[in-house]
Amino acid sequence: MSDDSGLALLLLGPAGGVGLYWALYRYYRNTDKSHAFERETKVDAKPVTGSDLKVGTNNGTRDSEIQGNNVSEYRKRVGRIRNDSG
Amino acid sequence: MTNLPPKFTGPGSPQDVPPQPGDLGVDPYNLPPPIREELLKPDPVALDTSARELEDGANHCPKCAGTDIRQKPGTDLLICAFCRHEWQGQRVEEEFGLGVGQDRLEGTIMASGARDIAADEAVLRTYKCTACGAEVTINTESEMTARCHWCRNVFGVNQQVPNGAVPDAVLPFHVKKDDAVARIRQFVDKRRFFALKAFKEEFTPENVIPVYLPYMIVDGNATANVAGKGEIETRRYTRGEGNNKRTYYDADVYQVDRHIDFTVDDLPLESSRERANLDTGHNTNNIINTIQPFDTKNAVKWNASYLRGCSSEKRDLDVEQMKPRLADELLSIARARVESSVNRYGRGVRWEQEGLTVHGSRWVSMYLPVWLYSYLEQGSGMLHYIAVNGRTGETMGSVPIQQWKLILVSLTVGSFLESIALWIVAHSS
Repeated sequence: MSDDSGLALLLLGPAGGVGLYWALYRYYRNTDKSHAFERETKVDAKPVTGSDLKVGTNNGTRDSEIQGNNVSEYRKRVGRIRNDSG
Repeated sequence: MTNLPPKFTGPGSPQDVPPQPGDLGVDPYNLPPPIREELLKPDPVALDTSARELEDGANHCPKCAGTDIRQKPGTDLLICAFCRHEWQGQRVEEEFGLGVGQDRLEGTIMASGARDIAADEAVLRTYKCTACGAEVTINTESEMTARCHWCRNVFGVNQQVPNGAVPDAVLPFHVKKDDAVARIRQFVDKRRFFALKAFKEEFTPENVIPVYLPYMIVDGNATANVAGKGEIETRRYTRGEGNNKRTYYDADVYQVDRHIDFTVDDLPLESSRERANLDTGHNTNNIINTIQPFDTKNAVKWNASYLRGCSSEKRDLDVEQMKPRLADELLSIARARVESSVNRYGRGVRWEQEGLTVHGSRWVSMYLPVWLYSYLEQGSGMLHYIAVNGRTGETMGSVPIQQWKLILVSLTVGSFLESIALWIVAHSS
């Protein structure tokens, strides 16, 4: 057995305990719930337009996805384009 | 600083917002008279939903003119307790044309019940009884009807007073009390083992109360732009031998820009400062937020008779104060909508910039029905809600936890897993 997998096994206890605590905490307190307005509001949208321009490469990385992937984190706000009027 | 909009950390996210429209940074009194006059002019009230026939506070039965009118339970009908005549309130959707024209919205259109709240407007309103002339006071903070203590004539606050208590529309309760009690009991029965002992002992779902909570129902017409980087995997390979085997990836990086024009129909926003604060570290308002959506299309024109026997909360946020929240939700909707257009980026997209232009919005103030059970946790002071949607019956709640019990069980399970892990490590080396 390698050192890495041995260490991972030893983390099983603390990870399992903390994981169980959080899962039950959320089940009772429902702190992670809110109205899913993104899905539950009637939205009429025109087809999405835009552009895709290759600007470089990212070779030899060990990350399985792009750094800071936020494609599904709709509610995490990023920098605002200046001339908007929201 | 009381005019600042509430923070909605927690499920809603914090954000930076542009200055509010109308915030000039200069005192209009220092400007030339023509400009000053223009700036100081009141905003137009585009839709008038006030009911003139109800302005005297007495809601008369159309058949016998009696005033003892209440909602027929489980329906949108009003019923006269004197002659049993039943009639239907007018749906605001058709009455004021709210369901159409979202794509042509320009500027900020407010229904008359969504107007700014006058700071000096009293919550205690005194009405002269039209039957006997006695004066009856109604505290609009929590109730909208009263019975004259002299002649038993029933009053309702139907006139649109600018204290935020009278909305444009109301969505009557459909879920009855027995049903709400059963749903709350069922919800808690699934969460008993780790529940706080005192909560279980004091649990009496029969104490649930019907509350009308204030919301703004918003139609909007907006354009959003998002920009960021996306990556497509071009090669995947492994290096090293045995235990040092590692996976590496090559990827092409793209600059991704997306543009979307969209309209939203009936987006609900909490218009009470307290309810709009969804910080789950300090309150459980997210519970009430979760039981949305309501079938707001079926809302009827304001009539205080629907609130007989119910409690109500007063709106205390103006449209301008709620605009940052609207912008935040519109941006979230836009981001959700563009997701399917970036499927080709298998390694995902990192959005770096986003922008929003709201071309137009239409605001209607509405009371929505919620069955509310609350429990104050001693010590932490946290108020836990269990809420039932008064229309759909959707139920959500926060059940206080017996912490030592949950920690003990988690530690036991963790220790058990750890002992298995130790056994495996010991026997494999």
